[in-house]
Amino acid sequence: MSHTLTINGHLHTTDVDSDMPLLWFLRDTLELTGTKYGCGMGLCGSCTVHLDGEAVRSCLFTVGDADGKQVTTIEGLSTDGSHPLQIAWLKNNVSQCGYCQAGQLMTAAELLAKKPDPSTEEINAAMEGNICRCGTYKRIRLAITDAANQMKGV
Amino acid sequence: MTTFNKEMNAITRREFLKASGLGAGGLMIGVSLPASLLASTRSTSFEPNAFVYIAQNGDTTLYCGRCEMGQGISTALPAAVADELEADWERVSVLQGDANKKYGPQATGGSNSINEMLEPMRKAGAAGKEMLVAAAAKSWNLPVENCYAKSHAVYNSVDDRSLQYGQLVTLASELPVPENPVLKTRAQFNYIGKPLQRHDQADMVSGVRVYGADKKVPGMKYAAIKHIPVLGGSIKSVDKSKALAMPGVVDVIIIPRFEKAYGSIGGVAVVADNTWIAEQALAALTIEFEAGENGTYDTTEYKQQLVKNVEAPAKIEFEKGSLDKAFSDAAIRFGGTYVGGHLSHSPMEPMASLVWVQEDKCVIWASTQDPAGIQETVGAYLDRKPEDITVHVMASGGAFGRKFQCDYVQEAAACSKATGFPVQLTWSREEDTRTGYYHSCSAQHIEASLNAEGKVTGWLHRAAFPPIGSTFNPAVVQPTAGDLDAVSLHPYGIENMRVESGMAKAHTRIGWYRAVYAIFYGFAINVFTDELAHKAGVDTVQFFRDIYANNKNPEQQAQVERCRGVLDKAAEMAAWGQPLPANHGLGIAVHHSFHSYVAMAVQVEVVGKKITVHRVDCAVDCGLVLNPDIATAQMEGAVIMGIGLTLNTEISFKNGAVVNSNFHDYPVLRISQAPVEINVSFINQDVKPTGLGEPGVPTLAPALANAIFAASGQRYRSLPIKPA
Repeated sequence: MSHTLTINGHLHTTDVDSDMPLLWFLRDTLELTGTKYGCGMGLCGSCTVHLDGEAVRSCLFTVGDADGKQVTTIEGLSTDGSHPLQIAWLKNNVSQCGYCQAGQLMTAAELLAKKPDPSTEEINAAMEGNICRCGTYKRIRLAITDAANQMKGV
Repeated sequence: MTTFNKEMNAITRREFLKASGLGAGGLMIGVSLPASLLASTRSTSFEPNAFVYIAQNGDTTLYCGRCEMGQGISTALPAAVADELEADWERVSVLQGDANKKYGPQATGGSNSINEMLEPMRKAGAAGKEMLVAAAAKSWNLPVENCYAKSHAVYNSVDDRSLQYGQLVTLASELPVPENPVLKTRAQFNYIGKPLQRHDQADMVSGVRVYGADKKVPGMKYAAIKHIPVLGGSIKSVDKSKALAMPGVVDVIIIPRFEKAYGSIGGVAVVADNTWIAEQALAALTIEFEAGENGTYDTTEYKQQLVKNVEAPAKIEFEKGSLDKAFSDAAIRFGGTYVGGHLSHSPMEPMASLVWVQEDKCVIWASTQDPAGIQETVGAYLDRKPEDITVHVMASGGAFGRKFQCDYVQEAAACSKATGFPVQLTWSREEDTRTGYYHSCSAQHIEASLNAEGKVTGWLHRAAFPPIGSTFNPAVVQPTAGDLDAVSLHPYGIENMRVESGMAKAHTRIGWYRAVYAIFYGFAINVFTDELAHKAGVDTVQFFRDIYANNKNPEQQAQVERCRGVLDKAAEMAAWGQPLPANHGLGIAVHHSFHSYVAMAVQVEVVGKKITVHRVDCAVDCGLVLNPDIATAQMEGAVIMGIGLTLNTEISFKNGAVVNSNFHDYPVLRISQAPVEINVSFINQDVKPTGLGEPGVPTLAPALANAIFAASGQRYRSLPIKPA
């Protein structure tokens, strides 16, 4: 059975197995490697993408789940790195190894879409599912607040 | 200093100098200057050495031989080269060097990159600049003294003409390389000491950065692996039939243990068209393992045994003065036993590499901390010369010491060799958690005597932990004298001392985990010191000051001063001694490791079993700071890893195998546990710079444990802390 997914605005029709996790379809089939494997159990958030605007763990969602839907990966968060979060990430030099940061950004983007002015507690609650082993949490909080201010025009 | 530092440095430095044909005092820049290279590139570019490349249009590429794993070395070192080269950072690209002796030792660990490579790389930049200046002087027919470099061009003070670096490429390439280029003074730095943005930040937020797990080549296959769960165990039987019948499965490969320190522990791999098929086929295998002699390893029992081994006399490795007399004359005698568990590095990118073994070559793309280690290990496995193994060093998604060992690369080589395909092997998180090279679990018993004035007169320190040496030589069954140096040579001033090593035969692979033995030494020594201060009835900061001041050894005065410097700074930052809110406590710790000095003050709130770290103040003396923003980030990361290992994480074994499997039962720190306030100050920047990847980790756990005592009166001597 074939599936049709819109990934970062491009239509993809595929006949891979419906059960194939979206993560591996993105990484191995489409070679969109910005989305990372970290745990395979929805515990770390490295594989976070947007499915019709909702942040989901692509290791737990399948190609079948995404059939007919819009998938946005880090490669599609903006075409030129101009999303306010990407700019704020650079301004605060958030990344160390950078491996988890695609997932952090995708989760943060959903947060700001829903809560334009999050408190520290709301940032913590939204970002709790995204692990950063390098320990960039302090800067992630600062960058999200910066981006929120930027988006509000403060 | 650890085994790691000593042995690795000794080996790599020796090899480097051998490769370079230079003595210890030689100029490393000369290494990479074969005349043929200059001859062949003379007309199109300027390559004065391995680290610098300037194209005719002036675009400049600087190479970093050390491995980037998030610590920012590929910005800090090339920025220093650019500074000496008088290059415009906007015109500079940085490339990661592949495995090649021309870059000097590339093994990246022990916080030694800056310590070891800064000066040679600065000289590489300075030599390039002097050649460009000489080229301009020659073309103007002016004395060199009238010419100077600035921002990618050479100017002269006679008629104010200038030549861009790109215009000088051809001429500069024909000039001799200066043997002793003059380095800039601190006042002349453009980039060193400035918070220059990392060169790789933009790629990391747009998803285009290619890590070892991301590399693609045409025709490649993907592999998954299940390891023998017990060290020294074996595979009794494998039923491959179901897996081999699955569409997309290429083959099932049995990989025997490769008995090298960095070789595979052994396992079964599936090679398939994609990672998902490989993982499914792996799950469809029926594998029977034989546990072997380590099949009874149980960390609960083992740690109890380590405690017994340090609470009884053990092997004496260091003695000074008369401890027995100090103890018999004591006004107060006091002792404590401190215990820590195994830790897993758990970088977010699990072990991953892509290997293509061909008849006439072997090409590897790997996240690694030690490209030469890959060449040696895979070379030995394939029975080829190390230099015949090409290693492309990929960005590592974290490493923390784990990616020194290249068992995962050798396993990918086994898959490629068996199938003929380029094979990318990515370990699952479960395999990463269960078959790593773990931080040693440990027990330490310390006893001290105080005289009537509250001065520490004697110190007995027994330590038992499976040492890293056991991974290289199973006959090493307890800490060596060198492993105990951090205690024996500790800059405390104690006249009478005895250091003993307790038995601790390893039953798993032990590796270097960020800060290594300094984690448990820093914990035990600092918590015990806080306990002594309370016994003596002296404020802890004052007690620390005194115990350092008691050191009269002239050879250790610099260490004493630097320890006291960071101590006083951290105490000042944290407003030590000022009143705190209810249920809050402040704890402090000082530790010297990897040539750097760190003190941390931790403010914690304890309510029932809930421990909240509110604020951490870090004072750091690593000499001159190359990039204060990157250095600060290293300390922030060390604080987070430190809180995780203090409150959350331990690897446990039962029946020889690791019990934990993924982030639900190895709960590394998440954002809600991360303090909002982490302040970092750097002092004493007039001295030679030293590394910072590791030295931040050891002080967090003891400072936090001391803070918990201050807040709640509850003393914890075991890591991770489990509130009763």
